[in-house]
Amino acid sequence: MMGPVHAALASDPVLAEHYAAFRATAVSALDPALGELIQAAIAGVHGIEAAVIDDAALDPGTLATIAYARRIPFEHTAISDGEAAAVIAHLGEPGFVAFSVVAALADAECRAALVDLPGLVKV
Amino acid sequence: MSTTPRVSSAIAGEPAHFGSVLAHQPEIAARFFALYGQFWGSDVLAARIKEIARMRNARVTECGFCRNVRFDKAVAQGLGEDVVDDITDGYATSDRLTATEKAALRFTDALIHDPELLNGDARAALRQHLTPAQIAELGLGVTLFLALAKALITMGLEPEIMGRTVLPTPAVLEAAL
Repeated sequence: MMGPVHAALASDPVLAEHYAAFRATAVSALDPALGELIQAAIAGVHGIEAAVIDDAALDPGTLATIAYARRIPFEHTAISDGEAAAVIAHLGEPGFVAFSVVAALADAECRAALVDLPGLVKV
Repeated sequence: MSTTPRVSSAIAGEPAHFGSVLAHQPEIAARFFALYGQFWGSDVLAARIKEIARMRNARVTECGFCRNVRFDKAVAQGLGEDVVDDITDGYATSDRLTATEKAALRFTDALIHDPELLNGDARAALRQHLTPAQIAELGLGVTLFLALAKALITMGLEPEIMGRTVLPTPAVLEAAL
C-alpha cells in the first residue's frame, strides 16, 4: 500500500499504477533516510502519528531541509529565498527539485488521509 | 512569495518554468506528465469539475500561474469566466455552479484547507452526487493540484505578470515511458 491516494484508486488500476510510479520515482530520487525524515516531519505538522525526529542528531544541511519541509503544510508562501538557498546548497538543484515534489506530495497525502479519502470511496 | 526562480532551467535556452526546472529530474518529469495526461484524459469525472477544483485550489494556495491557466477541455464543457468568478469563498450561494460542483468544492476545501469542513452533511452530499470512482479521481486531482501549486510557489516559479491563458488539456503520453 502506498498511501491514501493510491488506496482510493484501487478501482482504477491504470491510474493507480501511474500515480504509484510517479510517487515512487520522486521518492527514489532522494536519499531514503532523507525521504523518511521529510515524510515524518510533514506528518508531524499535521498531527499524524509518525517517527519522532531528533533534530539535535541532524547535520546542519539536513536540519535546514527538515525545517523547510515543516513549513510546507501551512506556510508555503512565507518560505524565504534564504531558506530555499540553504536547501539547494545541501541538496543541489536536482535534489531541491525532487525534494520540492516529495515534500509537496507528502503534505497533500497527509491531507488526503485526514479527509479519509479511502473511506469516501468505499462502496 | 518569490517571483524570482530559485532553481535554474535545465533546458538550454529556456527560461525557468515548471517544465524546464522539472527537467533537472527527467524521470520524475516523465512520470508526472504521464500521470497528469492519464488523469485529464479520463472521463470518469468531467473535466469541468476537475477544472473547478483546480481553480479553487489555485485561489486558496495563491498560485497565480495555476489561477490564470485554463484547460480547453473544461472550457469546451461550459466553464466560462462567469462560472470561474463564482469559485470564491461564497461559492455555496452561486447560481452558476451545480450542486455536484458545490459538493466537489467542499471536498476540495476540506482536503487543501480544513478536513473538518467535510462533516456529515458534506460527506453525504459528496457521496450523493459523485460515484466512488469519481471521488477517487477528484481526490487524486486535488492532491496533484495542491502539490503542484506548492512546488511551483516554493521553487519561485510564480509569474510576475500573467494573463488568462487557455492551454491544451494535458494528454495521455503513451510514448513517454
